[in-house]
Amino acid sequence: MRQSPNERIAEDAIKAWKLLAILMAIIPFLLTLTLFILAYIFTFSYWYGIGLLAITLAEGIITIFIIPKLRWRRWRYQIYDQEIYIQHGILIVNRTLVPMIRVQHVDTKQGPILKKYGLASLTISTAATTHEIPALLEDEAYALRDQISELARVEQDDV
Amino acid sequence: MSEAKRLHPAAIIFRIITIARQSIFGLLPIILLASNDGFFSYLLFGGVFLLLLLIGYSILSWMRFTYRVEEDQLRIEQGVLIRKKRTISKHRIQSIDLSQNVIHRIFGLTKVQIETAGSDRTVDAALSAVTFVDGKLLHDELKQKTKVAETIEEETTTDSHPDKAYPSRKISFPKLFIAGSTSGSFGVILGLFAFALSEAESFIPDTIYQETTNWLISQAIQTIVILGLLVFIGIWLIGILGTVIKYGNFTITRYEEELYITRGLLEKKQTTIPLKRIQAVGIKESVIRQPLGFAAVFVEIAGGEVDKQEGTQTLLFPLMRRSKVQGFLQEIVPEYQDLPESFTALPKRALPYYLVRASWILLLAIIAVAIFLTEWVWIPIVLLVFSAILGVLRHQTNGFHLTDSLLTIQMRQFSKETIMLKHKRIQAFEKTQHIIHRKQELATMKGSILNNFFGRHYKLSDLEQKHVDQIADWYSLREKQGSD
Repeated sequence: MRQSPNERIAEDAIKAWKLLAILMAIIPFLLTLTLFILAYIFTFSYWYGIGLLAITLAEGIITIFIIPKLRWRRWRYQIYDQEIYIQHGILIVNRTLVPMIRVQHVDTKQGPILKKYGLASLTISTAATTHEIPALLEDEAYALRDQISELARVEQDDV
Repeated sequence: MSEAKRLHPAAIIFRIITIARQSIFGLLPIILLASNDGFFSYLLFGGVFLLLLLIGYSILSWMRFTYRVEEDQLRIEQGVLIRKKRTISKHRIQSIDLSQNVIHRIFGLTKVQIETAGSDRTVDAALSAVTFVDGKLLHDELKQKTKVAETIEEETTTDSHPDKAYPSRKISFPKLFIAGSTSGSFGVILGLFAFALSEAESFIPDTIYQETTNWLISQAIQTIVILGLLVFIGIWLIGILGTVIKYGNFTITRYEEELYITRGLLEKKQTTIPLKRIQAVGIKESVIRQPLGFAAVFVEIAGGEVDKQEGTQTLLFPLMRRSKVQGFLQEIVPEYQDLPESFTALPKRALPYYLVRASWILLLAIIAVAIFLTEWVWIPIVLLVFSAILGVLRHQTNGFHLTDSLLTIQMRQFSKETIMLKHKRIQAFEKTQHIIHRKQELATMKGSILNNFFGRHYKLSDLEQKHVDQIADWYSLREKQGSD
């Protein structure tokens, strides 16, 4: 666990995450709008709304323009014959080892956002944990899923 | 035993009790509401009607419930409106446990609980009441075949009855007594007691309540103190009694493939733990027991019975001297006998993290209290001192020990726990570092194992980075093959 894994996830992940962040940013934006309207109706100071707007904008800029890029840069994985090695996290870096023989099943998933960019996510489940590689090229994800399930098909003791 | 059999009629009683217990909370508000508004006769009528319905239903479902052993299978048919037939193959049966509560014991009956490997509770079967002889017969019949199917040699040993040759441990009464008096049940009972008292208040007539209060207030301070002490001792004794009843005659026996536990004075319970399903073995020394040198031994098992009171851990032994644990493991679970004596401690520079983690909430509390309730600020400050001590203790306790096959982790929340994890039982391993960690060359590790349905994650914070890497190398199958 000294070196990072080699493989990066698909670069379009940044776009997908950005889109998701934009969609998510609508909620605080609507809240800010509501506050302005309330300030207009009940005639209290607009400064509360302006303060909230500043926070909303800052949060939006961070989650839309900065975090996806950083997140993508950190996200690495590597599939060995014996195990899966995953790294993720921006400030707090997580590195996870999942032995192939412990893998119970592998899923690929694709929501509307990922589909738009031709991506899919891969979920690896053991008896106790689940691990997700969030954005891979569709074909790559399917190939990887088959590869892992093939590798995981070793005789297991039990559980 | 090929013909279909019914359960003992006492099963009807159990059925009634179960349903009544389940529905009482739903009905209670209605009952209270109705009795207040003077609809008492309606209530009585409805109650009797429901009761008759319940009894009728229970009798019907008893009549429809049959079981039989056929070839290699146990077949159960049940259901009043919807008929269900369930077939369980002998080879899939993980354990068969016989347990008796008070009613069972009066009639010479037993409950038979059959567990299969799946985590789906509904797949398992339970015969709520059969005669003890039948239960034993069923147990032997279903059990033996599985054993014979596995190994033929075992047949002789199971026939010439098992009890003698296998290592077995039984709890002694003094130990049981200590277990009861050091168990944390005190707080729970105190809570119940207080709750009962507050509820009773509304039932006791006002005059008596008033008189009692007046009498209490008029007493000398000594009497009140003595009364308080009596209540305290009483609660304590109840706690002990509870433990004695629950764990009385606690006996654990090791067979080839499984551990077998019987316990209970009033309610006799059997538990079978197949060795294959043990995920980890642990030792727990609670804050009260640790200074006295006592510990409890538990296992984490995959699937199996979920005991609501004990959570997901299953006790292997309620209480023993910490120094005797090694011998116990050697005898009962030799797979886990390498209990290390020393642990690799955390580095000094991890201490600040532990202090902050233990006390940040209280620091906030001090600020809040200092602003709003200045005269009470000493309370969080005193608590802060305790939490700081706890932080230091945690830092001192936490550590790990690595051998070829076992990763042993020692850690503390409040109780000190030592957990032995086998390489092949760890489902995934994680190393976590934040920015400052990386500069300080510290890292947090997390090993996940399977226990009842959920994973259990053992986390050790702020270790030396090189130690975490060392454990990762041990865990990684790839690296190991490289070095061979």
